[in-house]
Amino acid sequence: MSTTSQKHRDFVAEPMGDKHVTALSGIGEVLGKKLEEQGFDKAYVVLGQFLVLRKDELFIEWLKDTCGANSKQASSCYTCLKEWCDSFL
Amino acid sequence: MPVFLEDPALFSKERLKSELIANNVALPLSESKKEVYLQLYLKHVTNQNVADFSSDEEEAFEPVHQALKDEDKSCIEMMDISQLTDKELKTQLIKYGVKPGPIVGSTRPVYEKKLLKLIGSVPAVKQNGTGDVGRYSDSEEDERGEEESHSRSGTEPSPTRSQWERDQLDLSCSSSKSEKEDVLEEMFPDEARTPTGISATRRRPIKGAAGRPVQFKYSELVTQAPATGDQKPSVSGHLVPIWAQIAVFIVIAGFLFLIYHSMEANQDNPFSSFL
Repeated sequence: MSTTSQKHRDFVAEPMGDKHVTALSGIGEVLGKKLEEQGFDKAYVVLGQFLVLRKDELFIEWLKDTCGANSKQASSCYTCLKEWCDSFL
Repeated sequence: MPVFLEDPALFSKERLKSELIANNVALPLSESKKEVYLQLYLKHVTNQNVADFSSDEEEAFEPVHQALKDEDKSCIEMMDISQLTDKELKTQLIKYGVKPGPIVGSTRPVYEKKLLKLIGSVPAVKQNGTGDVGRYSDSEEDERGEEESHSRSGTEPSPTRSQWERDQLDLSCSSSKSEKEDVLEEMFPDEARTPTGISATRRRPIKGAAGRPVQFKYSELVTQAPATGDQKPSVSGHLVPIWAQIAVFIVIAGFLFLIYHSMEANQDNPFSSFL
């Protein structure tokens, strides 16, 4: 079994549509709120930022700076978005 | 005139704060991120250094400075990262081998931080490289000198043999090192040089393991559903071979066939033994 969480698998399984940013793997209530304050209230907005950074690992740095995520959470979100893009983009 | 020249990115937040206060710079909002302090520090403190820099040009500097002085103009420019235009920031990043995306409002701070990190790491790497090589060759000569004197004085076989081994080692080391460098240069012309020749490159995730199983799993389950309800899900991302699926299908079909025939009334001999 791969080392992904249930949240990750749920997110990667279907188009994200209008899901809230807390649907992203690694983003819980606290981080979700912080992202909302910055204007990233939906998952697709964070996806936008991920794409503008060319799907690079710089996204992890950005996430850490923006909402104070730790390495594990940021990496988890990065992997989640990356896989979603591999399947649907 | 600064006493040390440390990388300001390595300073702690407290240190940056105190430096700013010492230079009469207004502190940002309390509890700001370290970068805010860092930016202010670079902007104001290094503005002073630039003035000192030009006047002290003829004095002997630490190797760090000498490495930077090779590109004098761009060095000063680097110090003022926040003053760079988007285009210039992009060119600087490309120089370090980074391929940046659009430098937009939300991406600019990320790229500035990245550039800072790259600038901070490159001079240190250069210095390490030259220092190590110098030390290495010195130690080689020393050891060889020792061995020779030893062989002259003491018993013959062991020192000469070890000397020979050491010579071989030295030869192979130096030749392999130069070979390594050449090969590395050929293979990775864009990578920054490192003292050991090892540099980490981001590995693309294996598509089969990460990207595909989700899609494949669904289609696999769909094809198996009419055949059997008993199939175990595929194990850790590996595909169940098709021949195995067909074999199981045939076995179950044969089993159903036998059941059908055993149900039929008045079927003689072949199936009576099964009843």
